[in-house]
Amino acid sequence: MTTKTRPTKFGKLAVALRNLKRNAFRTTVLVSAIAILVALLIFATFFTVSVSATIEKASDRLGADLLIVPVGARDFAQEFLLESKQKSFYMPKEILPRVQEIEGIESATYQTYLETITGLCCDVAEAQIIAFDQDTDFIVKPWLQNSIGRALGPGEAIAGIETYENLGLELLEVEKTMFNKRFKIVGVLERTGTGLDNAIFMTETDLQEIVAGGSSPLKKDQISIIFAKIGRDVDPYHVGLDVEGNIIEVDVVTRREMGSELLRKLSDINKIFVLSTVMGAILTVFLVWAIFSAIANERASEIGIMRAVGASESHIVRLFILEVVLVGVLGSLIGTALGTYLFMSLTKSFALLRDLSVPVLSFRPLPAYLLQQSVIGVASILVGTGICIAGALGPINRIKRLEPHVSMKGSLLCRR
Amino acid sequence: MSQVEISNLSKVYTVGGEEIIAVQNLSLTIEKGDLLAVVGHSGSGKTTLISMIGGILKPTSGSIVVDGTDICKLDDADLSEYRNRKIGFMFQFASLLPVLTAMENVLLPRIFAAEGGANHHRRAEEYLDALGLADKRHAFPGELSGGQQRRVAIARALINEPRLILADEPTGDLDEETEADILKLFHQLNREKGISFVIVTHSSEIAAECRKRCRMSHGVLEHEV
Ligand SMILES: Nc1ncnc2c1ncn2[C@@H]1O[C@H](COP(=O)(O)OP(=O)(O)OP(=O)(O)O)[C@@H](O)[C@H]1O
Ligand SMILES: [Mg+2]
Repeated sequence: MTTKTRPTKFGKLAVALRNLKRNAFRTTVLVSAIAILVALLIFATFFTVSVSATIEKASDRLGADLLIVPVGARDFAQEFLLESKQKSFYMPKEILPRVQEIEGIESATYQTYLETITGLCCDVAEAQIIAFDQDTDFIVKPWLQNSIGRALGPGEAIAGIETYENLGLELLEVEKTMFNKRFKIVGVLERTGTGLDNAIFMTETDLQEIVAGGSSPLKKDQISIIFAKIGRDVDPYHVGLDVEGNIIEVDVVTRREMGSELLRKLSDINKIFVLSTVMGAILTVFLVWAIFSAIANERASEIGIMRAVGASESHIVRLFILEVVLVGVLGSLIGTALGTYLFMSLTKSFALLRDLSVPVLSFRPLPAYLLQQSVIGVASILVGTGICIAGALGPINRIKRLEPHVSMKGSLLCRR
Repeated sequence: MSQVEISNLSKVYTVGGEEIIAVQNLSLTIEKGDLLAVVGHSGSGKTTLISMIGGILKPTSGSIVVDGTDICKLDDADLSEYRNRKIGFMFQFASLLPVLTAMENVLLPRIFAAEGGANHHRRAEEYLDALGLADKRHAFPGELSGGQQRRVAIARALINEPRLILADEPTGDLDEETEADILKLFHQLNREKGISFVIVTHSSEIAAECRKRCRMSHGVLEHEV
């Protein structure tokens, strides 16, 4: 007597698994279809959410209601601040007091952008240099406070986190030469999620010295951008119009408009995503429906037997749903992993994502980020499983109604 | 005391607009502990009759009262529970699930049982052993002979310890020796546990060994002594 003691728990799950294993090929096709659909869904959602969240965060974190730039430089400014493309654009400094006079403007500060020229004058790789005015600044100050807890002194510079990483400035307190002036890099700013991460900061005073020394292409009293805060109850759009109306040399970008060009591109991409996901979902429902119709017919007599030994309609439905859910969950899990992997590995090949200043998957706060990713993951699993159930429901409902006696007629013999 | 009271039971199949009267106005009482043989020509309605008693086929008219309840009036859930708990059905044809082992096929009715119970595993093993299938517990139906499959189905009918066993030609493709073994088992269960049996058979020998006999002919039942 071969007493192979197998204390395996025998239940509905075992039956469902056995049925799935019986036709491994069909199961594989189903799981793959669900996985591909969910991967597409995950990819599309991550893409959209990341791009729009990054744009929103970046414009929020700048902390300015209005950006005031030389006429024509509107796109340059946004590209620098959101996509960290190196840009130089200039306007006379005398515009600042004119901006400050306009009604509704509470405070304004300015920055000057300068590109390093490797080898010629500087011993840092190409980077954007930002000179800011410590007296009026409200953009860099909070980050500076966090980092070194004090203002920058003469001859001191501080690096944005990306610059710091890119330039390999692992050792702090390094000396660097920029435009023939020695600078001490005294620290690194926390990640701001804006173009500021890709810059090296120095004070306005130091910049003036460089300009006076003549070693930069910059002329005296030139600035690149004015950041303005407006009063609590004023409409940024109207103030912006006022600024543009009064000062013809400038263009204004409101906080809400920031990144609108990117968002427009994004919404077109989204339409394509939605369309392909919906078509994919419809195809998958049909596939599941076709496969489960075949399964239901094939197993008619087996279902009759189960009914005869005591399975109710709802037992049969639950048994099939279990099978469907196993396929759906497995497919969705694989799809979620695949979609996430694709997103991470393809990030670099999408210009839209590559150019955003924040590495898309790294913004903080981490718990909120993880929560968001989990919500997307769980939602995708629900969608994948739901689509699977939707496709299988028709055949399952048809088969459960058959009288046990009728469904058993005919092919009762066990096939080898 | 009567266990099953069948009154004026009829079954009419409609095939392509044509009516086939399989069972006609049939009345029958099965007492507790009965061992009843049903014989009759092929197509006389035997399978139809025990399918209705077993709750897997709805009658066209009439009533089947089991332990005081008319099973024709039960909803799906209650009728399923009736099939599961009170009836052990042995089909005329092989009826095992191909994806399950012999052991699992025997345990199949347990999956649908409302209340848990102990010792099914041990009992399933005992039945399989008693039916000479000790070394086939983990074999799949495809690996079993026709007669072995049939014996697995018998063990399955017994697993929930039903009060009534409906056997549709239980020894159809078995050799005489196995046939005798199975009949011995039926008699033993009937004697020791008081389980009632309705056995559909073509064999006059089996019929002769049963305490009661009746004959179906064109859907009508004739009692024999
Ligand atoms: N599902 C069905 N649909 C239509 N007619 C049926 C159906 N099942 C049985 N019949 C008919 O009902 C009659 C009785 O059939 P049944 O299967 O009860 O006979 P039986 O006595 O069991 O025969 P056998 O000894 O060959 O198994 C037959 O004429 C058969 O053709
Ligand atoms: Mg028959």
